[in-house]
This record gives sequence, C-alpha cells and structure tokens, in this order.
Amino acid sequence: MMKIKMRDKLRKWREENFRNSEQIVDVGEELINEHASKLGDDIWIIYEQVMIAALDCSRDDLAWSCLQELKRQFPDSHRVKRLAGMRLEALERYEDANKLYDSILQDDPTNTAARKRKISILRAQGKSSEAIRELNEYLEQFVGDQEAWHELSELYINEHDYAKAAFCLEELMMTNPHNHLYCEQYGEVKYTQGGLENLELARKYFAQALKLNNRNMRALFGLYMSASHVAASPKVSAKVKKDNVKYAAWAASQISRAYQVRRVREENVKCSAHGITKAVYTVAMVHNVNIIHL
Amino acid sequence: MASSFWKGVVGVGLFALAHAAFSAAQHRSYMRLTEKENETLPIDIVLQTLLSFVITCYGIVHISGEFKDMDASSELKNKTFDTLRNHPSFYLFNHRGRVLFRAPEQEPSTPSAQALPSNPLRLRKLENYH
Repeated sequence: MMKIKMRDKLRKWREENFRNSEQIVDVGEELINEHASKLGDDIWIIYEQVMIAALDCSRDDLAWSCLQELKRQFPDSHRVKRLAGMRLEALERYEDANKLYDSILQDDPTNTAARKRKISILRAQGKSSEAIRELNEYLEQFVGDQEAWHELSELYINEHDYAKAAFCLEELMMTNPHNHLYCEQYGEVKYTQGGLENLELARKYFAQALKLNNRNMRALFGLYMSASHVAASPKVSAKVKKDNVKYAAWAASQISRAYQVRRVREENVKCSAHGITKAVYTVAMVHNVNIIHL
Repeated sequence: MASSFWKGVVGVGLFALAHAAFSAAQHRSYMRLTEKENETLPIDIVLQTLLSFVITCYGIVHISGEFKDMDASSELKNKTFDTLRNHPSFYLFNHRGRVLFRAPEQEPSTPSAQALPSNPLRLRKLENYH
C-alpha cells in the first residue's frame, strides 16, 4: 500500500516538474532499496528521476548506483549517456561532459537533449551570451520547443534584455493561449520595461491573466500597480486617469477581500484585512517616488 | 473491482449487439427464402440492437477513466510558477545544494533530533508540503 502511494507521488512529481529533490531522494531511495522487484518496468524511469534528484542533493553515491543500473539495462542508450553527462556536469567536469555530448551528437545529429545540455554547460560556466546564441540557433531549428523558449526568456531577463524576453513570452502565449501564467509573466516584463504604453499593455495582460484564472494574486497586484502608475502619469487624459483609478480601486478591493477570506479560513493568519489595505496604499505611495524607469 | 463489473457490462452489450446482427441477417435470409421481402425487421431485434448499443456506450464511459473539464484554463488554475519555471532538460547543478547537502566529513556527531511524535517517519516523507 505504501509503495503504491510512493510510486504515485513520484509519478506526480515527475509529470508536473517538481524539483523537490530532497523528498524525491528520500522516497525514491526507499522505493528502490526495498521494493525494486515489485515495480516492474517503472523502475527504470524512477532510477532516472532519483538520479537527477541525487545530483541536486550531492548524493553522488546514489547517483552512481542508479547510473550503473541503467547502464547495465540499456548499454547503448543515448538517454543513459546524457545522464552520465549530467553527472559529469554536477562534478564540474565540463570538458568531459562536452566530449560526451559531442559524441552523442556525432551519432545522432538530431538529438535535442544533448544540445540542450551543451547550452546548460555554457550557462553553468557563466558564458550567458554564448548560451543565448546557441539557444537561438537551436530554436531556429526546433521552433516548437516550449521549454527552450521559456529558458531563453529567462536568460534574456537575467541580461535585462526585456524586449527580447517579451518576444519569447509572446511565442509561448501564442501556443498556450489558455495559460494564465505566461500572460502574467509577460505583463510583468512589460511593467518592468516601463513607459506609458508598456504600462497600459501590462495592465491589459494582467487583466487577461485574471480572466483566465481569477485566483492569480500576482496578476491582481500587477493590475493594481500598473493601473495606479498609468493614473499617476502626467501624460494621460482625464478620462484615462479616471478609468485607471477605478481599475486600481477595484483591484485593491479584490486584494483585501482575498486576504479577508483567507483570514477567515485560517484563524491564525496574523495579517488583518485593514493592515493589508494600509500596506497596499503605502506601497503605492512609495512607488510614486519613481522606482521604475520611465 | 468496480471496473471489472463495467467491463462485464461492455462485454454483454457487445455480445447482444452481435447477436442482434446475426438475428437480423438470419431474418433477412428467411425473408428472401419465403419471398416476403417487404416485411420490416421484427421489433424485438430493433429493440435489442438499440438497447445493447446504449448499454455498451454506458459501460465504455465508465471504463474510460476520469472526465476532464471542457474549459482548457480550469486545469491550470492550480499551477504555479514553482513548477512552470522548472525546465528538466536545462537543469543546472552548480547551485548551493551541492554544498548544503554534502555529508559532513569530520564534524562531531550531533545528537539527532527525535522523530516527530505521532507521525511515523515514512509517512512524513510524503506529506511534507506536497
């Protein structure tokens, strides 16, 4: 019974990209050591999952043993070679890892996993502009790779190149129109870029994110902030100012209501609704001292 | 298990459908032999066909697992950035976890904290925060 629960938890963590490596190592190690025989073919993918988590937790012994099992079962597999490369990367032996990935690519030039690992090596070594260049070349060939687009947007954000990050997020929004998180992140990038049109655009995307998921608190805060900034800007007409003040007031009321509901549900939350409303208005006043670049 | 009951239902439905088909074919050939080709199919065969079709559909719906919401955005309502920004193919390992979790080589062994009272150690692993 326990092992079924453990196996289901591991599958949930695997499918939803959780990176709770300490837990995965705990649960996975027990599952492997005690119930290996009863898992059947699931065990290979569990070995892979536990190995990556072990690398995160500096458990090189566990990672090595998982790798050995996988090598024994799948001697010529590119996927296992990639795992061996990841282990070398974790040990900071980047040249050896690069050689391994190059050998995979010689065998199979279309192998996306090896190319992505080479880009990660560049990133780990701090060579972000080369990583960006390689990732751009990769995306020219494999345009549909969502993970890579999101990774590229993160790289651009780290380089403060918000225009290009916005472009990557636009690609993601185009292919995932119902995902509220991409809309919200796009709104945040536009808000960070600053300037009146970007703020209005940000407000619209925050509103879209809220339309897709009315429980997205970050989008609610974003709507409040961008609407207040547009209202405070000197270049807008009176009507636009009035509208934005209305939007900001609505967002503020939604925020304080959400906190109130939460407080009623969990008796021991220390923030009072009044305190939150005050905090929200204080933040607004602080921001009027112009922290964002216009 | 409940699912074997529904599998049985689907089996019965399909068998009844096949049986009705054979009866209809047999009835047709009988009509041709006795040269009464303008008589329609007897009502019990028609009823059997329709009923077994309904039963088969109902059984299949029960076998085929959970229904998903029609609204594409509703199953994303619980997704957070915690999981969205993890790109497994791009995982980096040069983070502080490499140092934080390193086994202490020569530290004096500190008395380990006692396990939490009621919850056995194993269950705690699963329930931490997910």
